[in-house]
Amino acid sequence: MFKDLDPILHSQLRLAVVSLLIGVKEAEFTFLRENTNATAGNLSVQITKLKDAGYVDVTKQFKDNYPLTICKITPKGIDAFDSYVKDLQQYLKKPVV
Amino acid sequence: MTHNDKPMSEQESLALITEMIQKARGQYHQSGSSAILWGSLVSFCGLVSFAQRYWHFDIGFDIWLLGLVALVPQLWIAFRDKKHKVVKSHQENAMDAIWVVYGISIFAMIFYMNVIPHTSLKLFASDGIELLQKNTTTGIVTPYKPYVLSTSSLLILLYAIPTLATGIGQKFAPMIIGAVLCYGFFVVSCFTSSTWDALLNGLAAIFNWLIPGLILRKRYLKAKKANNV
Repeated sequence: MFKDLDPILHSQLRLAVVSLLIGVKEAEFTFLRENTNATAGNLSVQITKLKDAGYVDVTKQFKDNYPLTICKITPKGIDAFDSYVKDLQQYLKKPVV
Repeated sequence: MTHNDKPMSEQESLALITEMIQKARGQYHQSGSSAILWGSLVSFCGLVSFAQRYWHFDIGFDIWLLGLVALVPQLWIAFRDKKHKVVKSHQENAMDAIWVVYGISIFAMIFYMNVIPHTSLKLFASDGIELLQKNTTTGIVTPYKPYVLSTSSLLILLYAIPTLATGIGQKFAPMIIGAVLCYGFFVVSCFTSSTWDALLNGLAAIFNWLIPGLILRKRYLKAKKANNV
């Protein structure tokens, strides 16, 4: 019996964001945008979904009078990512019929 | 690669995770500026100290005071790096902690070296003890002012600690080699006079920081160029 993959993470852009954040302490919005090649609008929407799910923390600050968004994965996000990868491994081990 | 919300296969998910983790990992590149700054400064001060003692001349001030002056460019480097940083890694956080602790320790050590002789003299005096030294050739006895022996050895030992920790933490062979050489210089300095200790101090800074710093700089510029292309 295979568990359903977490729908929050099983989306290209959200998974890319969480995979980037899992290896760092925190990252600016621009870092995520540059590395995912997403548009600012789309990225912003997906980050909000991750934030609403409690997977990332979003802090808004100002740097040189420009708004600065800093994203950080939460312990809940780490657990969700961990479960997602384990579920993924189960699917990949599934024998091909 | 542009990411959207289209359905992914399990293989695609795994490939995406791997790609993003690699990208995040590749972000941590030290500019090498601090290592070059302190490597140049400490090696310069060590070599000038050696030259003064070996060729018996005096430049008129303590060359090591340049260490205080170098705090200004160090603060500027830290400010500039922080300003341009868009991501902070866990590894970077740990490295920063190691070097902050080292900075505190080196100032504490210099404080110890300067305070202990005077304090010892006062404490001995308060117990009614006066330290004397006798010249075994002339037989003349004069008051003895205590001092911390082989201070350079202690400094060289201290230099090696954060360097080896950083080298191992970052799997950066030039720093591991530099630190191992530094431990070697420490052992040698326990058997040499302060003149040669000053030379070893300078060499320790060259191998510990200057050479690894230049290698880091080269890698940083290469990575920066690759990211811009």
